[in-house]
Amino acid sequence: MAELDDIIHQPLRLKIMAALNALPTTAAGLEFSRLKKLTGATDGNLGAHIETLAKAGYVSVDKAFVGKKPQTTVTATAAGRGAFARHVATLQEIIAGKQV
Amino acid sequence: MIDSKQAASALAEIDDIVQRVRQSRIYDLASQMMIMWGVLVFVANIATWLWPREAYYYWLAVYVLGIAGSFAISAANQASTGVRSFDMRVLLAFLMFVAFGFLCAHVLGHFTPRQQGAFWTIYFMLFYALAGLWFGTAFVVIALAITALTLVGYFFVTGDAFLPWMAVVNGGGLIVGGLWMRRS
Repeated sequence: MAELDDIIHQPLRLKIMAALNALPTTAAGLEFSRLKKLTGATDGNLGAHIETLAKAGYVSVDKAFVGKKPQTTVTATAAGRGAFARHVATLQEIIAGKQV
Repeated sequence: MIDSKQAASALAEIDDIVQRVRQSRIYDLASQMMIMWGVLVFVANIATWLWPREAYYYWLAVYVLGIAGSFAISAANQASTGVRSFDMRVLLAFLMFVAFGFLCAHVLGHFTPRQQGAFWTIYFMLFYALAGLWFGTAFVVIALAITALTLVGYFFVTGDAFLPWMAVVNGGGLIVGGLWMRRS
């Protein structure tokens, strides 16, 4: 029986992973500011949850300067995409009644 | 373990975010193209106002530069998103759209320069409004605003002032609309 992924299951982390997974694998990821807008999270909250996902190896974080402005880009890793796909499959199984 | 209601709620949350990401990427790309076309249309209207004899060359240049610019923006976005947005099919659709407009304005009808200024703007805004039915209400809002202001100019702005009016309404409208769409 498949288990829900505790790291992804937290509501904000689920939103972050859903947003990153919506991009093609070849895409460069999402900027922190764009992710903040999409999830409706605060800076501190979003940063903390991205760190949790990064520690689990589900996302990679790239920091760079564009001109003089710092820019943080978050990208789903292959492991993160796999974990997210399994998490979604488990949710679908629960709805289908295969798990109680 | 969670129950099926909570699971359905989580999946709905995922669908909602996926839709928002998709729309955000469409708006991002469309805003770049809109700003580029806005600059071209603004310049062409002002040039037509100042030197009306060469108007056809300016508008031909707008189409050539606009298509080339659309390909360039699409290629630049493809590098970062992996998705090709302006391809040969879109180009053909665009050319058919322009050909039909040409048929209406020059063959079936013989529009005056003033009528053409209003017609082409409203005709392109129809395209934006239709796109909005699939890709987001911002397209519809921009199309309706530019169409309404074009009609105001057509009926109430007299003489040569119509061209600078159209430069601001059509060119400026696309630029402002593109900037607004980028923030949406």
